[in-house]
Amino acid sequence: MSGDGATDGDIVRAVLAGDVERYAVLVGRYRDRYARYAARMLGSRDAAEDAVQDALVRAFDRLVDCREPEKFAGWLFLILRNRCFAEQRRRQREGRLLEDGDGAIPGPERSDSAVEQGEQRQALGRALGQLTGEQRDVFVLKHVEGLAYDEIARRTGATVASLKMRMHRAYDRLRELMKEHV
Amino acid sequence: MKALGLSLAIVLAAGLPCAVAAQDVAARLDARVPADLAHAVQEIARDAAGRGLPVEPLIQKAIEGGAKGVPAPRVIAAVRQLAARLDEAQSAVRSAGTTAPSADAIESGAYALNTGMTASQVSELVRASRPPYDPAVTLRVVATLTALGVPAPQGLAMVEHMISERRAPSELLDLPSEVQAATARGATPTEAVQQLDPQQQGGGATHGPGQHGHSPQPPSPHPHKP
Amino acid sequence: MTTPYHGLVKRVLDGELTLADLPPELRAEGEDALRLLGAVDRAPVTLSPQLDARVMAAVRRHAQSPLRRAWRAVAAPREIELRLRIRPWALWGGALAAAAAVALLLGRPTTPGATPSVVAGVAARDSVFVRFVLYAPGAKRVTVAGTFNQWDQNAAPLVPAGTSGVWTTTLALPIGQHQYAFVVDGRRWVADPAAPAVGDGFGRRNSVVAVTTGARIL
Repeated sequence: MSGDGATDGDIVRAVLAGDVERYAVLVGRYRDRYARYAARMLGSRDAAEDAVQDALVRAFDRLVDCREPEKFAGWLFLILRNRCFAEQRRRQREGRLLEDGDGAIPGPERSDSAVEQGEQRQALGRALGQLTGEQRDVFVLKHVEGLAYDEIARRTGATVASLKMRMHRAYDRLRELMKEHV
Repeated sequence: MKALGLSLAIVLAAGLPCAVAAQDVAARLDARVPADLAHAVQEIARDAAGRGLPVEPLIQKAIEGGAKGVPAPRVIAAVRQLAARLDEAQSAVRSAGTTAPSADAIESGAYALNTGMTASQVSELVRASRPPYDPAVTLRVVATLTALGVPAPQGLAMVEHMISERRAPSELLDLPSEVQAATARGATPTEAVQQLDPQQQGGGATHGPGQHGHSPQPPSPHPHKP
Repeated sequence: MTTPYHGLVKRVLDGELTLADLPPELRAEGEDALRLLGAVDRAPVTLSPQLDARVMAAVRRHAQSPLRRAWRAVAAPREIELRLRIRPWALWGGALAAAAAVALLLGRPTTPGATPSVVAGVAARDSVFVRFVLYAPGAKRVTVAGTFNQWDQNAAPLVPAGTSGVWTTTLALPIGQHQYAFVVDGRRWVADPAAPAVGDGFGRRNSVVAVTTGARIL
């Protein structure tokens, strides 16, 4: 990645003016930022990589619609989020659940309790895959990405009330699913 | 003597709002509506004020009629109908246990009746709206949901459910825009509420984005006659 | 069917309450719920190093497409700005309730990142900016009249936003509930298609907007 000190807004404007190669700076800046969110939404790193790649290309195609170039990151996030929802709907139409893929990243040798924790983690990952897209979205943003409801509302345009409703339904559904696991 | 003086003071005080209202009405309608219409509205307003009803909505309705070029008899009929609604709303709020309803609560009640809620639904909601829930606000929320096409019993159940869950009052205010957002995405108003309120689901399956579930639902825990 | 979590336990999960805030009979449920949350996988995820190259290859291909070249030839900063303010979805409400007049909680200036059609913020201590939008191609003049301006159809004209047929204005409305309608070409009273509507008592419909502040309930 270049040591470009330009702001996101400067780069967006430069790209819109014709300097397409500058877009690589934005790609470098944001390629990993939302990777975890995409992975938790779609159930695997591979699916996340496809989604992030598509989102970055789509963001370029629609760069003229980025009404606040300084806020490119938030706008890119929404594109990625929509892409994740679309993927979820496509899988539902095809009758597939989310991939029970490499939700847990393989790590070094672990102790028994760590293995047990790992199994819980995977079980929860599978359970997350059975939530609706909107429930999973709010759950991941709050409990994986660590955002407050206000911040989620600001980024997504949903109201705090609706986010809480979705989240509370998610809690109940997860409880039900995890009981089956136990 | 003292008692008489006191009674007189009370009578005078009761008379004052009427006098103030009449002046207010005349000034507000001056040059906005024809003189005969202004006079008729003044009478209706004086009568309404005497019954403890807010006069402002009546003035607004008359001004609105004048601005829209509506013939005077029709404006008078509309103002009378509004006064009757305010009266009905006041009764409904009173029957819920509020001895001295605020103008705001009465106006919100009239708005609720105007959107199609019944007087008993208004009373029920006022009864459920104890502090920190302001009945003027909860009435307005359910009424707006009704105006958006949500069946009144469903909107009522949703808000009462949120009150029972002790949700923040500000969350209630978000409901109409949430329903609007969902209907803009293609949901019917009923589906919009079902998407928002787990209670409406009756504990059944949740619906994913882009899906409109049609599985039969168990009866709502708050059965209402329409 | 598993029992749903108690409402107070959910608030613990939300971070609004702590376990200590729960009544004794709910503590076990609260602990159980927090254990579930503790199993969430928060490990960072890194994507393949080839991702950048793949993206830029696609970007270069797209940049060369004839459509894009044509766009660059006509796009000027001012045009971009105008296009950015007109979002077709915004006319119909959407998740941001961005169409026309809006029922909003605003006790502070718009936070950064708010959408273009959402209100601008607090006008004065007891009023809030509300944006009105109407799609009326072919109209020569559009105004908005309501309880906030004594139904004066000349008090609040809308202005056309570009050539798309969209008309818009932003007004400072006092806190409270208001009824309004658009007046098209001085004679047609039109309710806002994206707002709740009530009968006006004269055979037509008025639109309703409630303006509130963030912290206070009216």
